[in-house]
Amino acid sequence: MFCYQCEQTSRTDTGAGCASARGACGKDATTSDLQDLFIHELKGMAEYARRLRDLGQGDNEAARFMLYGLFTTLTNVNFNPARFTQMLQQANGHRERLKGAYEAACAAQGVAAETLGGPATYVPAANLQQLLCDAPIASIQAGLDAVGEDVVGLRALILYGLKGVAAYAYHALMLGQESDEVFAGVEQKLDLLASEPSDVGALLGAALETGSLNLKVMELLDAGNTGNYGTPAPTRVRVTPVAGKAILISGHDMVDLAHLLEATKDQGINVYTHGEMLPAHSYPELKKYPHLVGNYGGAWQDQQSEFAAFPGPIVMTSNCIIEPQPSYRQRIFTAGPVGWPGVRHIENHDYSAVVAAAKALPGFDADAEAQEITIGFGRDAVLGVADTVIDAVKGGAIKHFFLVGGCDGAASGRDYYTDFVTQTPKDTVILTLGCAKYRFNKLDHGDIGGIPRLLDMGQCNDSYSAIKVAAALAEAFNCELNELPLSLVISWFEQKAAAVLLTLLALGVRNIRLGPTLPAFITPPVLEKLVEAFHIQPITTAEADLAAILGDQAA
Amino acid sequence: MSSRDAGAKHRVSLTTRDGQQVGFDCAEGESLLDAAARAGLHLPAQCRSGSCGACRGRCTSGEIELGEHTEQALSAADQARGETLLCSSFPRSDVAISVEQDLAVIQAPGPVERSGEVVVVEPMGGGVMRLLLKLGPAPDGSTGADFIPGQFCELTLPDGAATRAYSIANTPNWDGLLEFWVRLQPNGKFSTWLQGAQAGEQLKVKGPSGGFTLDESSYAPRWFVAGGTGLAPIAAMLRWMGEMSAMQPARLWFGLNREADLFAQAELEALQGGLFAGLEVNVCLWQPSTAWSGCRGTPLAGLRPALAQALVDANPPTLYVCGPAALVEAVVALAAELGLDPGQVVSERFLPG
Repeated sequence: MFCYQCEQTSRTDTGAGCASARGACGKDATTSDLQDLFIHELKGMAEYARRLRDLGQGDNEAARFMLYGLFTTLTNVNFNPARFTQMLQQANGHRERLKGAYEAACAAQGVAAETLGGPATYVPAANLQQLLCDAPIASIQAGLDAVGEDVVGLRALILYGLKGVAAYAYHALMLGQESDEVFAGVEQKLDLLASEPSDVGALLGAALETGSLNLKVMELLDAGNTGNYGTPAPTRVRVTPVAGKAILISGHDMVDLAHLLEATKDQGINVYTHGEMLPAHSYPELKKYPHLVGNYGGAWQDQQSEFAAFPGPIVMTSNCIIEPQPSYRQRIFTAGPVGWPGVRHIENHDYSAVVAAAKALPGFDADAEAQEITIGFGRDAVLGVADTVIDAVKGGAIKHFFLVGGCDGAASGRDYYTDFVTQTPKDTVILTLGCAKYRFNKLDHGDIGGIPRLLDMGQCNDSYSAIKVAAALAEAFNCELNELPLSLVISWFEQKAAAVLLTLLALGVRNIRLGPTLPAFITPPVLEKLVEAFHIQPITTAEADLAAILGDQAA
Repeated sequence: MSSRDAGAKHRVSLTTRDGQQVGFDCAEGESLLDAAARAGLHLPAQCRSGSCGACRGRCTSGEIELGEHTEQALSAADQARGETLLCSSFPRSDVAISVEQDLAVIQAPGPVERSGEVVVVEPMGGGVMRLLLKLGPAPDGSTGADFIPGQFCELTLPDGAATRAYSIANTPNWDGLLEFWVRLQPNGKFSTWLQGAQAGEQLKVKGPSGGFTLDESSYAPRWFVAGGTGLAPIAAMLRWMGEMSAMQPARLWFGLNREADLFAQAELEALQGGLFAGLEVNVCLWQPSTAWSGCRGTPLAGLRPALAQALVDANPPTLYVCGPAALVEAVVALAAELGLDPGQVVSERFLPG
């Protein structure tokens, strides 16, 4: 295996990347190789799909499969090789259908059908041994000797960004939102990767286009979430358990939560959100269920301890699953794109097994001491008090805004984000989103004239809300986005964050501070170009970065 | 790694966040993480190779050799504070470590005693009875049947006159149901009770126990060898593989003495249709009638050429063997003779009873 798609990938003196029997995330070599082959097949599908769509005959069934397929290969999503051997065959079926349709469309329109090569001709072997023998052709490092690390890294940047795009687009799809433009964009980028592009400038351009595509996707997802569940509003959320039977649901997929809440209605079972599901409490159509009682635990990397201590079943709806421990292996369920060998999978939103498990498991025997946090500062909530905010800025009560968010992780360097937020001056406001917030969202940060200093905007994809707020503020202050008293301090871990980062760059956002380390696939020469164009920079220490940001502002 | 003497053992004292102390032995060549797992203490871990930082602990006394790890997972400053990565920590003396988890969180579930109400007792052919029990609540209030396929329980008769260990033949479930396949023994205490057992009678059930379980981390083909009711835990494993859509192709050699001993034929047929990667069933009779068209002899007769071929094909299976001691020993010896890695033989002998 070789994989360097996430932030925690192994880094040694000799280079970066996980290349042993098991990656830093727990993904084993077999699963990793099968994922590579599966991506290779998706590229082959896209070769035909893109051309077929160009002829006016988009195949959205194939496109939906591509979104789902790409999503399964994100970090900590699906480590079940059985699912990949199945999907390899399914992808082959889709590609054959696309090929047939493409050739028929060409014949009907009197144009010559291209003879496609590369991934478009790959046929997956029937057995695991042979599949693994084929894996090198599909490695993310394929062609390294010919094109060098910069090009391989840029191809990786596009692919990983595209995985994030696909994950968000799949969430939107589950909420009833899809777009031919998005399908076309995904197909076009996969088709580009299938052609083994090697022009650094063109690759950088394609990476930024992937970011623009992601903005469209986050808009769709936002429409899906707010269209189905209403506009998020500031909400107090209990973060300690109450007595009674309990189900914990993690991940990003609100549709799964909505189905679970219906399935558990009037059954005497309490539902708790975990990780990125926290923002659900701020949506009117979800918080209306009285048995959605609170949020449990911290960010994803603490799950092995927290799930073991949870006295009920656990549902993982998207990322991020870690190897389930023996003490809770029988009571954790996967849903949607998620999978783990030896763990039960929920099909078609049928939560009956989870309900049965909740009834059979003890639940919490007593109320814990009550503790609450406030969430739900989506763009409508923030812009609803825009006048107050603008006055506070003009009057000097608010000196600066920080957007501190993204993904959390286990690396010790991530303490930076706690230090950073706790050291921000009292006349500054912190916007946050993603699961990085768990590093500081249970601390008391105070308020400025009634406006909480910490405003939780939601999931990582609610970056869309943050972008809207920033754009509105820029308009109000009659300035450019980069001239706002706003600094972005981003914590990245996996490919959704890569997509969001590309979106911010595509919008021309400068001076982003990124940590805890920079992506391993971005080589120094490519980084130099990004620094030149966007002045992107690695985090240093909370003290130094705060001094630099606020010093710059003073100057 | 070569300098490590896998044989020299040290005592590890582990303190949990809630102040509980547990001890276990760890060889110099074994990581503290692996040794803890052997002792039933499952600490958080992801990569098991020193690069993710999930298995962080603190060494409070003693000497540890830290193996390969990345600076990102454990910085020099972390080390200076006594922090270590348990997956890459190898003891060089008795050591004391502390972790940030409560004991209850890292301990694997152990056997507990519950009541078991008879739901069904019925013959399933060959002098074997199916006994279906519904468990009463566990001490923590849970009512499901939570175990790992392949494990067993100890059943005590209502009058306390006999306790026998039987493997569970069904899969974990939330209805609290446990299925056992019991061969009737002439004049056996349990057998005598079983023949007159009525629905509603209450047994004592202690479990689950046992380490005869599937290696979920291996994608090698899974080959099963069962002797008599040694089929029960293997049936649980195969049923689980069906529920999980497991990808490993499965083969079974099922040994009995003669046609009259045949049982669970319907169950095997159902399994053959239910496994994602297929199941080949070979029923082997030691003393069949002339009419028998299946395998003759012990399961070894069929297993030997198949295993030899798999080794030639460089596609060695994991062998799961359960049955009388003689059968298990013969399979283990055959595997050793043909050169199968001993780590790929998982076995359980019938307990004397």
